[in-house]
Formats: sequence, structure tokens, C-alpha cells
Amino acid sequence: MNLFRLFPVVLCAVMVLKAADAQHYGQPMTLKEETKISEILANPEKFKGKKVRVRGVVTDVCVERGCYLNLKGDKKFQELMFKVDDGVIVFPASVLGAEAITEGVVSLQVFSEKEQKEMCPIEAKALNRKFDPAKIKGPMKVIRLDGTGADVKS
Amino acid sequence: MSLGSRLPWRRWNAALHRDIGFLAVGLTLVYAISGLAVNHMAHWNPNYRRVVKIHEIGALNKELPEAQLAAETLARLGVEAKPRAAFQPDQDTLEIYMKEGKYAVDLPTGKVLYEANLPRPVLMAMNRLHLNAPKKAWTWIADLYALSLIALALTGLFILKGPKGIKGRGAWLTALGCAIPTGYWVWWAYLR
Repeated sequence: MNLFRLFPVVLCAVMVLKAADAQHYGQPMTLKEETKISEILANPEKFKGKKVRVRGVVTDVCVERGCYLNLKGDKKFQELMFKVDDGVIVFPASVLGAEAITEGVVSLQVFSEKEQKEMCPIEAKALNRKFDPAKIKGPMKVIRLDGTGADVKS
Repeated sequence: MSLGSRLPWRRWNAALHRDIGFLAVGLTLVYAISGLAVNHMAHWNPNYRRVVKIHEIGALNKELPEAQLAAETLARLGVEAKPRAAFQPDQDTLEIYMKEGKYAVDLPTGKVLYEANLPRPVLMAMNRLHLNAPKKAWTWIADLYALSLIALALTGLFILKGPKGIKGRGAWLTALGCAIPTGYWVWWAYLR
């Protein structure tokens, strides 16, 4: 078997082996202990500014820039956004539905009613959605992980 | 006879321009094609082709467990492939993630939206290289390429002698080429 015939065989073998692994993105993982998404969402003030390791199925991925993932929580209807700086980590669309182990710092932002009324119409226009100011009641908490690294299983 | 006198600077310049030009062809095509693609990201996705299909499968009982709802949905759709995972973002919606794409089910109506973002393999590879996704050694290759473009621009100024060279028409065209970005920036940043 000459080299030209051997090359695609070797390449395919490497790709299969690579595909079987978890793909790592960003900085190396540093934490061992995992935190449940439900715990973070239930008490974001406690975790604000702390680095955590979180596991979840990827329920959404940014297909424009690969700059965020949404992770399924351990309780019903719960999700947590894992946001990375544009271009620092780029997630491919193929990670949708895969299990991810991520590390990042918990970020908590609180938007007042006034801020929401200024911000939401712009977002609604960009996303082609209807905006109903009557639905804004009280301050809104936005909780997310500012991501540093992730392992995504194939 | 020294090497310098046998090969005068203009011939060295032309030789450099020629050889760097040959070396830069591949990378120039990658950066130029990808540049066109990512320049219009507001109008299209240069990395993925979006596929959307709509199905109707009839209402589903939203009280059922997630896994059972996913299995029932796939059975009604006639999909035999195993799902990667499922998720209910709210009481009325179920999302089923497949190897390629996802089904989003509106449980009360049974309307299903299938959505997949399929890679444009060649263009995606070019875009990833253009935006330095590989980092590491590619950073150095991209830096070398940028330096080679500077070398091509500077050596290109002195290829021709005479009225079509840098002392004639070339000077006007070079000035025009420099004025375009400068003028646009002044207008965009200060005058508009």
C-alpha cells in the first residue's frame, strides 16, 4: 500500500478517534466539584462572582459567532447561558444536544423596570417579536456564566 | 563582480515581489473569499446553511414525561434515529435534539418545526482560518502573511520605471488608494 492510499485511511482513523473524545474549548478546567444549575438559579446572589463547574445538555448555540451555549438545568424548564467573549471560544452548531461540562464565573445583572422598558423594544425589534410593556413587572434578573472553558462530548 | 552589481536593486525588488506573490496566492484567496463572506454576516450566515421544515403530528399530552413525549413525537414523525437529548423550555414546548438539527414541538397544537444548521464545509474552514480560530501556530502564519502583504505592497510600488511607475501615474493611483480609507474614516468618524 503506497502512502497516497494509506493517507485517507489514517486520516479517517484519526477523525473517528477524535470524534469519540470530548472536545475541549478555552482554558483548562480547574474545578473538580460540580454545581447544579438549579442551585445557581435559586440563589444567584450567593454564587455571584464565583467560579463554578456546571454540567448540562446544550439546548441552544449561537450559530452566528459561536459565542454562547444554553445549558439544560437539572430541574424542569431551567436553562443557564454560558457566554464567552467573541472569537476567544467559537462553538460549532454541531454541539446542540451534546452534554457539556463548563467552567465560568457566575454573573448576575438586575434590570429595573425603566431599563427593561428602554431595552426590550430594541431587542424585540431585532428578534422580530412583539413587545408588551404591560408584561414588565418589577426588576428582572439575568443570570449567566461568563465562560472560561468547556468540554463538550460528541 | 559582486552579487549586488550583477543583480541591481530593482531586479531584487521584482524577484521578491514575484516570489512572495506566488507564496501568498493561496492565503490571499482564503482571506479574500472569507472576507467577502464575513463582510455580509448581517445578511446571511457564512458558516451554516439553515434548513427548516414544518410538520403536523397532532396534539400531545403535555403531562407525559419528557422522554416519553420525545419518543411519541419521533414515532409520529416516522424518525427512527435516536435523539441526543430532549428539553422542555416551557410547559407547552418540547425540543428534541438530533445528530443534525432539532425538532421544536408545540405540544397543544402538534405543530413541529425542524431546524438544522448545516455547515458550509469549505467556506467555514476559510472563515475559521480568517478569524484565527486555530490560534497557536496559525497566529504566526497569519502574521507572516500580513507582513508578506506589506512587502508585496511596498515592492509593488517600484516594479515599473518611467511614466507608469511611482514617479508618474503610479503616484496618483497610490495617492487615490490611500485617500479612500483616510477620507472614508474622516467622513464616518467626524463629519456624518
